Amino acid sequence: MRPGLRRVEHVMGTPVSLDIADDRSTTELTVLADDVFAWLREVDARFSTYRPDSEVCRFDRGELLHSEASADLRRVLERCADLWGATDGFFDAYATGGLDPSGYVKGWAVQVASDRLREAGVDNHCLNAGGDVRVRGHASGGLPWRIGVQHPWDPSAVCLVLVGTDLAVATSGVYERGPHVRDPRRGVPARGLRSVTVVGQDLGLADAYATAAVAMGVAGIGWLDRLPGYRHAVVTDDGRCLHSADLPLSAD
Amino acid sequence: MRRALFAITGLAASTTALVVLKAGPDTSRVAQELPASATPGTEESTTAAESTAEPAEATATAVPRPSVSRSPAPGQSTASPAAGGAESSGGATKKPSVAQPSTAAPRSTVRRVFGPVVSNEFGNVQVAISLTGSRIVAAEALELPERTAQSEQRSSRVDDRYSGTAGLVVQRQSADLDTVSGATATSESYRESLQAAIDQAR
Repeated sequence: MRPGLRRVEHVMGTPVSLDIADDRSTTELTVLADDVFAWLREVDARFSTYRPDSEVCRFDRGELLHSEASADLRRVLERCADLWGATDGFFDAYATGGLDPSGYVKGWAVQVASDRLREAGVDNHCLNAGGDVRVRGHASGGLPWRIGVQHPWDPSAVCLVLVGTDLAVATSGVYERGPHVRDPRRGVPARGLRSVTVVGQDLGLADAYATAAVAMGVAGIGWLDRLPGYRHAVVTDDGRCLHSADLPLSAD
Repeated sequence: MRRALFAITGLAASTTALVVLKAGPDTSRVAQELPASATPGTEESTTAAESTAEPAEATATAVPRPSVSRSPAPGQSTASPAAGGAESSGGATKKPSVAQPSTAAPRSTVRRVFGPVVSNEFGNVQVAISLTGSRIVAAEALELPERTAQSEQRSSRVDDRYSGTAGLVVQRQSADLDTVSGATATSESYRESLQAAIDQAR
């Protein structure tokens, strides 16, 4: 039996898998995993746009003043505003008309959960929420975590394999649900990039950057190239794969 | 006359002395050179012969030794990745995967392990695996999303690729990667149900 714990739960409308590779007692591991999933469910309850009683929906309807909002919501709103500027308006929490910060919230929630695990001394873990991945340390085999990037035309294959001991990996694409990412400037479905993967330190930002680049279309490749601190891999609609020269790819 | 005779004898004596003096060092030099060149020459030749003989022996002994020790080494090293590859990666797994069940199959019986039901936005996914010993011999999707024509098509594609007795699961003998970025639906759910089944089985 390998050390650690692996748990899959359905949270935030997506399968979330947690893999802790630290050798600890089952009781300790269970408490740690419970905390992670409790946090993600709390985020879902407070930030979901599908729940009319969520904090985000109440704020959007004007029932909650900015001064009354939680520190978390205020931080998320601040980050979304920063991202709107940093992406030339291509990341837009108000793209659908009302407030929808979910393009940032999912990655942010996973990042916070991973940060809390590290603070609790869990050095080796991997948290994946529907393709938004945060890894730290090593897998239970003692090797760095291996993160596959799904092939946009073949759901059973991966097109790239990343390796790392401290990585945030977010992939955004139009292949799973059709062209659902909209160009917020023109109001039409985004075209040009089929899949964008952004790799860096903060998963919330990586997630938002990936979504923004898909919305930009082919121009997003140049924008990603100039993004400091974050690396990328892009698969275009015509099947070309382009990536940063220093992307941490697996050697085999 | 006397003076002339002295002069002649003196000249002759001096010339002979000169000849002797001239010839003396020449002959002595030759005599010295001969043994001198002979002894170091033989020393050199013997040491050279020894030194060439030694490397000749060394290379002669060295060649068979590494080649003896090397020849089983490549055999081991090519065998171990092939065996390791059967557990971890997809590439050259067919040979050992054919070889292993022939020894394992007669002894152990097939047991089935069920993965958990993993839900996604299109529906539920549940995977069952069949094992003989610790080897996966078949994988089967008990449940896949079939709500819409599109997701049904996608599901059958995933099922074709992963399941069965010759699908990717059997070929790879594991869910291979630690995690997958960007797989937000069916294949991810399949993989997760499968991973849980494998964890449970081992």
